[in-house]
Amino acid sequence: MHKWTSRILTTLALSVSITGTAFAEPFKIGYLLPNPVSEIGWSSELAAGGRALEEHFGDKVELQMIENLGEGPDSARVMNKMAADGVGMLILGSFAYQQEGVKLAARYPDLKVVHIGGYLQGPNFSTLTPRHYEAAYLCGMASGMATETNSLGVIAAFPLPEVLNIMNAYVLGAQRSNPDIEPVKVIWLNSWFDPANEKASTESFASQSVDVVFSLFPGTPAPVVAAEELGIYVTVTHSDNSRFAPNRHLCAGQLHFGPTLITKVQEAMDGAFQENDIFAGVQDGTIEAAGLGGPLTQAQKDEILAVQEEMRAGTFNPFTGPIAAMDGAEMIAAGAALDDGAIKGMNFLVQGINTNLPK
Amino acid sequence: MSVIVFVLSGAFAMCVPFALAALGELVAEKSGVLNLSVEGMMALSAVMGFMVVAGTGSHVLGLGAGMIAGAGLSVIFAALVLLFRANQVAAGLAVGILGMGLSNLLGRSYEGSSVTALAKIRVPVLSEIPVIGPILFVQDIVVYLTVVLVIVIAWFLYHTKPGLRLRVIGENPETAYALGMHPVAVRLACVAFGGMMAGLAGAYASTILTPVWAQNMIAGRGWVAVALVVFGTWRPIRIALGAYLFGAVGLASLSLQSLGVGVPSQVMSASPYLLTIIVLVVISANSLRIRLNAPMALGQNFSPHG
Repeated sequence: MHKWTSRILTTLALSVSITGTAFAEPFKIGYLLPNPVSEIGWSSELAAGGRALEEHFGDKVELQMIENLGEGPDSARVMNKMAADGVGMLILGSFAYQQEGVKLAARYPDLKVVHIGGYLQGPNFSTLTPRHYEAAYLCGMASGMATETNSLGVIAAFPLPEVLNIMNAYVLGAQRSNPDIEPVKVIWLNSWFDPANEKASTESFASQSVDVVFSLFPGTPAPVVAAEELGIYVTVTHSDNSRFAPNRHLCAGQLHFGPTLITKVQEAMDGAFQENDIFAGVQDGTIEAAGLGGPLTQAQKDEILAVQEEMRAGTFNPFTGPIAAMDGAEMIAAGAALDDGAIKGMNFLVQGINTNLPK
Repeated sequence: MSVIVFVLSGAFAMCVPFALAALGELVAEKSGVLNLSVEGMMALSAVMGFMVVAGTGSHVLGLGAGMIAGAGLSVIFAALVLLFRANQVAAGLAVGILGMGLSNLLGRSYEGSSVTALAKIRVPVLSEIPVIGPILFVQDIVVYLTVVLVIVIAWFLYHTKPGLRLRVIGENPETAYALGMHPVAVRLACVAFGGMMAGLAGAYASTILTPVWAQNMIAGRGWVAVALVVFGTWRPIRIALGAYLFGAVGLASLSLQSLGVGVPSQVMSASPYLLTIIVLVVISANSLRIRLNAPMALGQNFSPHG
């Protein structure tokens, strides 16, 4: 009998201690990604951000990551389910998730939402946009240095403000390192995902004596693979693509979502979540020029990295005047610099780009 | 000049997936079976081909795996419509969705990876001819194979006895059966051939045209192939020309954009679809000829037991 009593007592004590640990239950985070995760690209950089959270917080967070989530009712269903299950935070990795995210953040007071790449604002809702254009400026410098024909080509999806500011920064960077650069050529794919035309555009540029191609928001590594094959240099956004073009990779804007996400999760765990519109760049450790290769000499790489350090120190803004638009009209006066709002809403292309913007 | 050479030579590779898949669909439709699962067959065979090339490094094995995958999926479709006499449109769509799903599932771990491309063949002497040489005689092996297949299929359908039987079955299977032919067996063979061609097209797209795996990389090309059969009024040469035109206009619109020609890019992106439809509609404006070429029994199931 004594034996049994002591057993029951131990069990009771154990169960008490188990309920005791319930106070330190991990902070639950739902993390939604639009595409399948591969080794490079938007979704995989987001996934890397998730891994950074797990490394930083360890057992204190529980990450539920769902990749390849359709952008329609599928995502709304998953988000609603997660919110109802009581996750503390939703991190949303696609533009299309933002409407539903704002709604849920308003409906559940205990739910914090961090949306990446959107523009909406709301209670319990923060948005994070990387300053892709900063790395694009640095890669533009690299392109200006590497080109022998002085002819550069950009493959882009749609003429959205974000795409325009990236393209402008790229061209300004190229013009800085190479004043003889010809008007930069552009192919608009009018699609987020079109591997065959991504490759064909690269070939088309090569046939027109372009020797550096910039793949702006690539759907696949197709342009990078094609550039290696064609023997022209390539720069790209989102990820270092060196593995696809070991000889021809010139520069990439490498994203790091970890630092900002760690800050946001910490805020939410401390009950001090801030509803802000984060525009994170080199200074925040969110983006950097990576995979600098090709024909760049050490001196040239140092020159590029020195500009990156100016960005990190906050002393250099690529959109500092004088800057003229395609038709020659002055857009930014000498000495003036665009503020973040104007950069995010950019609706013009700088002089030295040869394309048509839809009116 | 270099732009024209680029467009006219590049269009061959661009049109191969359309041409192969459309020709396969043509043979199936000529026997009276409308197989709408082309997109799914291409997607499944694209991933199978990619996996085999990634594993073995052999494009021949990859294309072969694609053909087997395409044929396999088409046999499932054939079983539904020929054996169980399911509605052809519904069964085609269902099998197509199955193919897309399987493709996404199998390709998960390959997402974003690449395989080595297949080198182009420079035909000795002929490729040295100015302009014509680089356009016609610097292509990969599948392009040449496609040209041969177009000619063989056109010859087979219209100049051989089995081709005539095939067409009769597509026009009136009851009469064909009464004359001692085997509509179900012939249709099975035609559907499987169509699947094989779609498989070759899909594997070509993922391992040679763009040797990169990404989910949904077939991106609607199967549907374009189905449309080409109709707009090409069920004539193999016209279908092949339509596919080539589609590829050429697509490349031309990219090249013109990069030259900075003052046309909105949206118009350029839509141009392959618009121009191909316009040209094929104009050359097949004669409605009598359309009625002559369209298989009468297309989409109708046949039962030998009445």
